Amino acid sequence: MTSLIFLQFLVDVMFLTLVLLHLTKKNFIAVIAFGVQSLMLAMLFFVSFLETGNRYILLMVFFTFAIKVVLAPLFFIRLIRKYQLYFSVNTYLSMPATLGIIAGLTFMAHSARFVPLTQIVPEHQMLLSLALSLIFIALFLIINRKEAISQILSVLALENSIVVFIIFAGLEQSPNLQIGILFNIFVWIVIATVFVSMIYKHFGSHDVTVMKNLTD
Amino acid sequence: MYLTLLLATLVITIVLLVLVKNRLVIETLAVFSGAVMLVYSFLIALTVAEVGVYSFSFFLSVDALGAIIILIIGTMGFATAIYSVSYFNQETKKGIVGRTRVKQYFVLLYVFLTAMYLATTASSPIFAWISIEATTLSTAFLISFYNKPSAIEGAWKYLIINSVGLLLGFFGTMLYFTAVPSTLNGGFIGWDDLLQNANQLDPLMAKIAFIFVLIGYGTKVGLAPMHTWKPDAYSKAPAPLGALLAGALLPVAFFVILKFERVTDAVVGPEFSHQLFLVFGILSIIVAALIMFNAKNYKRLLAYSSIENAGIIALGFSFGGLGVLGAVLHMIYHSGVKAVMFFSAGNMLLTYGSDKIDKIKNALRVIPVTSVLFILGFLIVTGTPPFGIFFSKVYILSAGIASHPYVTFLAIFFMTLVFIGFLKHVTAMFLSDSEESDLVHGEKNIWLVIPPIFFVILIVGLSFTIPPFLQTLIDAVVVNY
Repeated sequence: MTSLIFLQFLVDVMFLTLVLLHLTKKNFIAVIAFGVQSLMLAMLFFVSFLETGNRYILLMVFFTFAIKVVLAPLFFIRLIRKYQLYFSVNTYLSMPATLGIIAGLTFMAHSARFVPLTQIVPEHQMLLSLALSLIFIALFLIINRKEAISQILSVLALENSIVVFIIFAGLEQSPNLQIGILFNIFVWIVIATVFVSMIYKHFGSHDVTVMKNLTD
Repeated sequence: MYLTLLLATLVITIVLLVLVKNRLVIETLAVFSGAVMLVYSFLIALTVAEVGVYSFSFFLSVDALGAIIILIIGTMGFATAIYSVSYFNQETKKGIVGRTRVKQYFVLLYVFLTAMYLATTASSPIFAWISIEATTLSTAFLISFYNKPSAIEGAWKYLIINSVGLLLGFFGTMLYFTAVPSTLNGGFIGWDDLLQNANQLDPLMAKIAFIFVLIGYGTKVGLAPMHTWKPDAYSKAPAPLGALLAGALLPVAFFVILKFERVTDAVVGPEFSHQLFLVFGILSIIVAALIMFNAKNYKRLLAYSSIENAGIIALGFSFGGLGVLGAVLHMIYHSGVKAVMFFSAGNMLLTYGSDKIDKIKNALRVIPVTSVLFILGFLIVTGTPPFGIFFSKVYILSAGIASHPYVTFLAIFFMTLVFIGFLKHVTAMFLSDSEESDLVHGEKNIWLVIPPIFFVILIVGLSFTIPPFLQTLIDAVVVNY
């Protein structure tokens, strides 16, 4: 029971960081929010390790912490400082509309329509509903943000959300494969970061809406 | 054994390409490895035709459809390596790319080829997902290869849209695993495990999972409405890479969807997946037909054609029976013809220095061989008889006419529109009178026309005769899918 409450707390923090990612106008805060969200994910893996004693999961804790909590935020902060991208570009929707949609998506994830997904492990229904709402809100974040770094963070937040869902649904895979996935994500982060630099060099902005060269 | 040798060849090639600095050695290595890759692909396909499913170790196995895709990758990869050497030599002469860039190109090309082989041979859906994601990562820099703002834009859209799509595909993949104990095989769950445990999967869950998988991997295939990255990426990537994206990556991603379709069909029957294929298929044909008519860039035109053909393949699998036969044949012919068209498009780009349709004037006189190849490609891809795509389309449409007459007529109407739109552009490019005076007439290099000529001969040959081993593989796919 205590464990469930603690798990709920971790996912709640992840939810709040995602909302913060939607609302913040500063890239630095967005990066920190992502780092905190990833830290919660690493802690979820750690709880799983404590419960199962599986040393491979400890490896997952280490890799998640190293890649998502330390390396990725460091990459982004360097990028922000290098190109002075302190302030994020506006979202497509206004703040009240954004909050309204977040509320709607959260409600939707908790509705009876998604019971087949949230009942995979009946005792984790609340957690799975919350994880599902994380997925929806992360997807909305990708669509709503106009700025390159925010879009990268959104994709990574979506990945975090899916991993949370997988953990609570008891769908963890072979540790080798999980490390493979993490390695993939690390490479993705590096490539995406390089692209942000390239976008800034070519367009003089990190606002993706300025890229309008490709039309028929 | 062959599979290990194939993958070992690819890995060694990548390592050597990274280490070697001499351009001639890099080019020789790329072509030589391409030839070795093709030989092993054939040997694997022959083995699968003989034994059914070819497994090597716990992690790798190839079925009939996988063998066909491997043949496609091998053939396309070898031809692309040959064409790329001449293509970049011409670009170097023009001062567009330097030695370092060419080296980067070949390294990433071989990483891309390796990832496609792994996606096709992986016995685990997660391993396949990792490999497909690796194709995105390896090609992103190839799309932005020319380092121009438009290329960066195309690559960025490609990276973000495909990454989001693949994450959704990953989510869908994981939902299939609800049927299998996570402790099975130490958590390394394979395609066969999913099939064997299909009866444990909740039908509603199977449906939700397949929707996510279809949207996710469908993004990679380029099915509408997830196709938006395709015209941008295809038009900005170097021409040889465009051939691989359209001819090899599309079937690879479709292959993964079909693997999941088998599991879904085992749970809820084929109607559900067929309905989804039908919707995405017809939508892709309609969207492509409508945009193609007003295309201004011939590489984008090829991208729209690719979207249309992905739709036709989806329709084939949707109709089932004869439609599946048509879809598999269509997949093979489409890959070949896209090589013809992208290689020809590359030659046009080298001559005219522009990918705009209105800049290409009287090409038939300026670059006659390339022009004839492009026109032949147009005739083949639009399904003009007696080329193979005509037959594959007939198979697909005749399978659909009984069960879905309205959709079939709609498909015929929009395919006709594609033909008219394509013809309009082909006429403008190859038969217009005016000519730019400073153009050098003639083909730049014999090796720029040999690969597309090879593919035309191959398609014509396969249009009338299918080798027995390939027929065995196609028959096995028709039975299983």
